[in-house]
Amino acid sequence: MALGVAFLLLTNAAEKAIPWLLALALDALRDADVDATRDYALVVLGLAAVMWGVRTLSRVWLFNVGRDVEFDVRNDLLRRLHVLGPSFFRRMPTGEIMSRSTNDVAQIRVLVGFAGLNVVNSIIAFVSAIALMLALSPTLTFWALLPFPLLVLVTRAFSRAMYVRSRDSQEALAKLADRATENVAGVRLVRAMALEAREYARFEEANEGAVRTTMSLVTLRGLMWPVLMGVGSIGTLLVVWIGGRMVLEGTLSAGEFAAFHAYLALLIWPTLALGYILAVVQRGRAAFERVAEILDAEPDVREALAPRAPDGPGALEVDGLSFAHGDTRVLDGVSLRVPAGGSLAVLGPTGSGKSTLAALLPRLSPTPPGAVRLDGVDVTELDLRGLRAAVGYAQQEPFLFSTTIERNLKLALDDPSAPDADARVRHAASEACVLAEIEAMTAGMATVVGERGVQLSGGQKQRLALARALLRRPKVLVLDDPLSAVDAATEAEILAALDRAKTDRTFVLITNRVAAAARADRVVVLDRGAIVEEGTHEELLREGGLYARIAERQQLERELATL
Amino acid sequence: MSAPPRPALLAPPEEVSEPPPTDLGMLRRLVPYARPHVLLFGLALGMMPLAMAASLVQPLLIKDAIDSALVTRSADALTSTVWWFLAAITVEFLARFGQVYWMQLAGQRALAKLRMDTFAKIQRLHIRYFDRTPVGRVVTRVTNDVDSLGEIFASGAVMAVADLLMLGGIVAFMLYLDWRLSLVAFAALPPLALVVDVFRRFAREAFRAIRAKVALLNAYLAEQVQGIAVVQAFGREQECALEYEGINADHRDANYRAILYDALLYSVVESVAAVTVALVLYYAAIRFAGLPAGETAVWVGTVVAFYEYIRRFFVPIRDLSQKYTIVQSSLAAAERIFGLLDRDELDAPQVEAPAPPADLDEDEVIAFRGVSFGYREGTRVLDDVSFSARRGEKIAVVGATGAGKTTVTALLLRLHEVWDGQVLVEGHDVRALPPAALRRRFGVVSQDVFLFAGTVLDNVAIGDADPDRARASECLAQVGALDLVERREGGLDARVDERGANWSAGERQLLAFARALYADRPILILDEATASIDSDTEARLQRAIERVLSDRTAIIIAHRLSTIREADRILVFHRGRIVEQGTHDELIGEDGVYARLHRLQFEAPAREPAPLAAAGVG
Repeated sequence: MALGVAFLLLTNAAEKAIPWLLALALDALRDADVDATRDYALVVLGLAAVMWGVRTLSRVWLFNVGRDVEFDVRNDLLRRLHVLGPSFFRRMPTGEIMSRSTNDVAQIRVLVGFAGLNVVNSIIAFVSAIALMLALSPTLTFWALLPFPLLVLVTRAFSRAMYVRSRDSQEALAKLADRATENVAGVRLVRAMALEAREYARFEEANEGAVRTTMSLVTLRGLMWPVLMGVGSIGTLLVVWIGGRMVLEGTLSAGEFAAFHAYLALLIWPTLALGYILAVVQRGRAAFERVAEILDAEPDVREALAPRAPDGPGALEVDGLSFAHGDTRVLDGVSLRVPAGGSLAVLGPTGSGKSTLAALLPRLSPTPPGAVRLDGVDVTELDLRGLRAAVGYAQQEPFLFSTTIERNLKLALDDPSAPDADARVRHAASEACVLAEIEAMTAGMATVVGERGVQLSGGQKQRLALARALLRRPKVLVLDDPLSAVDAATEAEILAALDRAKTDRTFVLITNRVAAAARADRVVVLDRGAIVEEGTHEELLREGGLYARIAERQQLERELATL
Repeated sequence: MSAPPRPALLAPPEEVSEPPPTDLGMLRRLVPYARPHVLLFGLALGMMPLAMAASLVQPLLIKDAIDSALVTRSADALTSTVWWFLAAITVEFLARFGQVYWMQLAGQRALAKLRMDTFAKIQRLHIRYFDRTPVGRVVTRVTNDVDSLGEIFASGAVMAVADLLMLGGIVAFMLYLDWRLSLVAFAALPPLALVVDVFRRFAREAFRAIRAKVALLNAYLAEQVQGIAVVQAFGREQECALEYEGINADHRDANYRAILYDALLYSVVESVAAVTVALVLYYAAIRFAGLPAGETAVWVGTVVAFYEYIRRFFVPIRDLSQKYTIVQSSLAAAERIFGLLDRDELDAPQVEAPAPPADLDEDEVIAFRGVSFGYREGTRVLDDVSFSARRGEKIAVVGATGAGKTTVTALLLRLHEVWDGQVLVEGHDVRALPPAALRRRFGVVSQDVFLFAGTVLDNVAIGDADPDRARASECLAQVGALDLVERREGGLDARVDERGANWSAGERQLLAFARALYADRPILILDEATASIDSDTEARLQRAIERVLSDRTAIIIAHRLSTIREADRILVFHRGRIVEQGTHDELIGEDGVYARLHRLQFEAPAREPAPLAAAGVG
């Protein structure tokens, strides 16, 4: 930064020296001192070369600082996002996070780079140009600077009016966008009720408003530059008039006059830039606050002070677990036990809190201390990474990154370049009953999924997520509704995969399908955040409670589907 | 920047697609929008040479001022020069303002027209388009894309023309002043042009790399946010952060390059002005060697004027590349807009409609004759469906999700074209009626009520240019919603937020019924809501349905037992076919699909949402 400022100083020195040399050369030319003129010309040439170098360096230096800041802020943002929990992401939607980490970070960069350059540059330019002008002629300097206070006032008035009008124009454009959004979102109603003419009229009204406010902004903007230039030119005019007289009277040489005029011209841009800088600084500050809101967000899941590594066969105990999203109680005193190697199904209607329960086991949500124990140790005392390695979790809506299938799966491996990695990936895929389908794709494991690649079916995604979870070889496997998006044939395959997956490990299955729940050693039925029934599949069927009713209903659905 | 230890989630590199070449055809398509404002454009363009002349005459006047001080030594001449200078400044001011103002006025009006056309096109596009295209993307065409096309008027192509004109003017003025001196000054130009071109090419390359990296960076971050639970569950924070840092570093490095070339370009232009001054001075020194002192003074003013011209000369050259970029992005926007305007899958296009069958009963308000239809090739949603509804008849349609219930209503409104068979409304094939005339016969209350932002009155009296308050109140009262509305601040003028967010689902339903009553259309399509609502609203809804149904022919996608029971006829859809038909008691007696559906729905556990409720709109 200091080096950049030094280069900026040098640039200004060279820039200011050129009119000075011009003055000397012109006066020499007037006096027919040709040799001196030629020497001055050569010096100007040299200065031009120096100026090129130092100006480039000063810009490179200062703009790069802006990019460095941007680089750091971006990295910090992602690292912070990585430790934040679901409560933060519920509060701030993806679009908002993206907007803050792109637009706002760019504003900060502009503040550091461009505004930094211009502030320093303007100050140097002002000080040096005015000093040189004073050295040439104090009287003329007085006249030349006379309109500057006016220029400052005009700039301020303009920026204030500009703020109001750009706000109005933004609002008009927002209204236009709202009308269009509403129209598209309600397209069915518009079509069904033949409201097209009304919609057209409403949009036209908003459109006219947009044109009106935009024109009022444009008019002001159109006025601003000419007015500022005009006010600036008053100084030039005064200098030409009074300076010309001084040359006539012989109190100023023609060369000095020309140099003076050149310095004045060098002042106009920094003056105009100052108004612009004010706006950039204000915007940059607002942007910084918005970014800081992410950077300063408190993670709700924290590493324990003295974390312990989990070691044990994977027995899970939940004791009086209660949890709330804000004021809404989601889980209320849930207690359950899964012995190491055992399996448990948690079944319940939508909104019963079963997904929340699943996320609390590996502390993906802030698990209250003392409520969940892995092999007798409170999970909040365990090393976070170790805990999540021990308790594998596959979420309800499987998320795959838009890269190859292979990389999506290898995400689960600590060392994806190990010699047995490929074999393990294939094994996990076949366990999840998805290997055959992957290999049927033209690119196989290298198939890119998602937006830029193949659109996978819901069932394929579910099974890839299952494979990913299996690949981790966790001691405890928590699956959140792996059957939510599959057809009957796939369901049978996944159920078979689950049978295999549950051997050799503790297994917790979150589901609303009785067919899946029946495969677990024990079943708990969750309703409105509390356990209402518990037992084996057969016991619960005999009890004739909620579980039995759901089972009957699903049986009926199946019959209807095969009709 | 060190590379990440190993690939975690980065997608394999994608070939950066070359932007399509600047398309003159695209500009040509803008001509019809510009043509009505040709006078304004003409005025704006006319201001350009005026502004230019007024600006370029200023250095000449400074030369005169110097000459009058040095050569003619006349105070009067100096004063008159100052007046001319003032005049030049004023003219430049007015001309520049006029240029900007008229150009923008013409541009904004042309854009407004383009926006209306795009909006109108959206009203005519086939409903399928909206199923595939996210709302945001459609809206972007009318808003952001049109705005960025507007940059062409604000600062792009048009101003580049002004710049080129300015360059020509400067050259002319310099030649006029002293052609030999001019040639010397221009000597610096060819090498400069070469240097500028080289740097610009590098810079453009760097900018292209930046764009690619930015896209990658944003995509990566967005995915990280969306998949944060996966990253956390697998403990891959560190690897992902490193990978992101790698992309971030590439992005920064590409920016370093762009900054360097841009700085070189910017600085060279500033310096070349100084070089030219040096050349002019050097040349003057050679040319005037040996002349006496008095003679050389004549040249001082000229050299000063040259200095001024040269300074003005390079600024437009420097900005040309920036303007080129703006034009490029404007044209890209134009391409997207015209892409939408060129779509030809229209809603309810005019076609040759087959004549209605001869055996059609005059009393049959609605008739399906052997209708087959699907949303995707090969998948039939409706398969040879035939039924009819007589005037005043209430037909309930029941069936499991995906059985084709909603499709029946969509075909009645001709939101889609049948594959086979005929849909008849009041004795006409739906294809024979203008879509607006067809759809005005129907009142629709859908399960997912759409309310517009505005007031209750706006929503009840929707489509009525002159809303009748008394009638709106009457309709609200009839569906039993008037007290609900009057409890709100403003009554009929109570606010309705975007999509009715400040009204409960039940209240929205009631407003929709009032809307249907107000519209008073002969045929009603009712997609019964099944969202759980409180018992008070439930009772109100029941009354509202009864009220709305009286005296009307109605097709009801029914979920409530009471509605189904009271229907004159029940059509049971299963896999796109009507499998049973009759009254409730008849069908229960048959113990077929209807009987099972009935058990499934009405004997299910209370808190499990019935699959029947999830009737997809389509």
